[in-house]
Amino acid sequence: MNYIIYLIKSSLEDFRRNKVRTFLTSLGILIGVLSVILLVSFGLGLKKYINQQFESLAPNLLRVVPGKIFAGGSFRAGPGSLGTIRFDEKDIQRIKRIKNLDYTIPTLTKTITVRAGRNSELTDFFSSSEDLFSALNIEAEYGEIFAKADVAKKNKIAVLGPKIAEKLFGDSRAAVGNNIKIENQSFKAIGVTKSKGGGGFGGPDFDSYIYIPYKAGYIFDPDKKFIAIIAKVNSEKNIDQAKRDIEEVMLTRYSEDDFSVIKQTDLLSAITSIFSIINLVLVAIAAISLIVGGIGIMNITYATVTERIKEIGIRRAIGARKSDILIQFLAESVILSLFGGIVGLALAWIVVFFVQRVFPAYINIPTIALALGVSSAIGVIFGVFPAKKAADLSPIDAIRYE
Amino acid sequence: MIELKNICKDYVVGNETIRILHDISLTIKDKEFVGIMGSSGSGKSTLMHIMGFLDTPTKGTILLDSKDVSRLSDDELSQVRNEYVGFVFQQFNLINNLTVLENVMLPAIYSRKRFKYSIRKKALELLRRFNILERKDYLPNKISGGQQQRVAIARALIMNPKIIFADEPTGNLDSKNGEEIINLLSELNRDFGVTIVIVTHEKYIANKTKRQLFIKDGTLVKK
Ligand SMILES: Nc1ncnc2c1ncn2[C@@H]1O[C@H](COP(=O)(O)OP(=O)(O)O)[C@@H](O)[C@H]1O
Ligand SMILES: [Mg+2]
Repeated sequence: MNYIIYLIKSSLEDFRRNKVRTFLTSLGILIGVLSVILLVSFGLGLKKYINQQFESLAPNLLRVVPGKIFAGGSFRAGPGSLGTIRFDEKDIQRIKRIKNLDYTIPTLTKTITVRAGRNSELTDFFSSSEDLFSALNIEAEYGEIFAKADVAKKNKIAVLGPKIAEKLFGDSRAAVGNNIKIENQSFKAIGVTKSKGGGGFGGPDFDSYIYIPYKAGYIFDPDKKFIAIIAKVNSEKNIDQAKRDIEEVMLTRYSEDDFSVIKQTDLLSAITSIFSIINLVLVAIAAISLIVGGIGIMNITYATVTERIKEIGIRRAIGARKSDILIQFLAESVILSLFGGIVGLALAWIVVFFVQRVFPAYINIPTIALALGVSSAIGVIFGVFPAKKAADLSPIDAIRYE
Repeated sequence: MIELKNICKDYVVGNETIRILHDISLTIKDKEFVGIMGSSGSGKSTLMHIMGFLDTPTKGTILLDSKDVSRLSDDELSQVRNEYVGFVFQQFNLINNLTVLENVMLPAIYSRKRFKYSIRKKALELLRRFNILERKDYLPNKISGGQQQRVAIARALIMNPKIIFADEPTGNLDSKNGEEIINLLSELNRDFGVTIVIVTHEKYIANKTKRQLFIKDGTLVKK
């Protein structure tokens, strides 16, 4: 213990005398750690943000979509990819017979132009059944949402998300009762939904959708097909069973590669895994600056070894072993590097503190451990060459050195 | 205690090999007080470094308590320097990053031995005995040369070595301070039985030792 204090004390004394040099040497590591930690904390924040987006969706949903787009939580665009098949009313009826499903909802979404008076906007419509509102917990803010009878009667009515309603009518309340034109087909706006938030990375933007009864929606798709089926399972514990049941039913009509049944969490993990990869690449790029910082430390440690050859000789003369000299210079480079790491971490913490007002970036314990671990490791890796050089000096040459 | 047999030392300078020490054989016995004399460049320091296990001879054997040291590993040699030998140099050779007290304690830090006594207490006691206790927290370059050399002697003594090698210990001191240092070393030999080898080219110092060896051009000569 005494031993380490001695070694560190003489290094610190050295740093105290060369404050500017010490600071400049640590600067590389400081910048490296700062940028890596910032990227990591932003990555963590992004993950959290995406999770928050998905929390706004109702849980216990299964989606039946065309193509085999997920395999083990990541995207896989196979030969029978997106859009080769579409579903129809028959599929709906068959899935409806599966137990533990509260709702089975056909959906057709399309990007369309919608007009109200002179205003014209590009947005998505959601051609679906009345159950969609219950399944996704969508309620009316003004007016009302459409009912089962509206679907059956093919009523040309529409429920607007608050954002699109406001864009079209200036005030979302004013939309109720007015006509809108979807691709030149006239629909009557009967209600505006409450805001669900969302619309960020990966999350659907419910507030900008226009909801219409799917049977009325057939005018936009004469084949009477759907691009997705949403099934709501009555309880979380039945999700996996329901997923298997749906797959079984669908397999009687389609081949395995033609469709996928996706859990909400599959989608979430696919999106987060993509962002994690991007983040990892960025962190790897930032880590290059750590290597540059390490080379700086190596340079300075080589310089101090040369400056202190005589001292090394003295220490050897009074009984220091090679390993003692090695540890002494390693300790110096680790202290330098760790110092840079700690200051970098502190600066990152300050930046994150301010960023948190607009974005949920955060620094967790593993990130702190990473910063401290990586900077010590750099001290060791880049310090070991000069330290080895110091240790291998012959005692007599060192003490005779002037 | 230390026995040199047919020691030669060569240096390679460019593509020439120069022999600095020629076939030197000598014995230093326990509790002896020996002076090594010779002109500058005659090889005194080289001989002293070899006797002190800092340097290795090109030829010949060294016995420490009748054991051949040529087979010792680098770590074992370090340990021998640490525990058996104390060095006092002309340029004091203290470590300027460390205080006086820390310099004195430093050999003990490198020791793997367990001490029965407090190293710190012993260091303070040595400093007190050498009249430099009030300088214990100074850095070496803030005290006088005579004081620095006394610190160096205290450092050489902290491990209770069998032998102290002093290489022109007064070379950088005025005559008054030089005399004090020599008296101190004589006392150590007389009162505490520490074996002392002093390298010097000053006659009056050599006269204080009990046996003198003369080196001329790398050879021991009888006088
Ligand atoms: N590393 C070395 N390489 C070449 N020659 C050396 C080396 N060290 C010492 N010498 C030479 O060896 C001779 C003896 O040196 P030294 O033992 O220091 O003499 P002294 O201490 O008696 O003045 C000198 O001529 C010196 O130049
Ligand atoms: Mg000399």
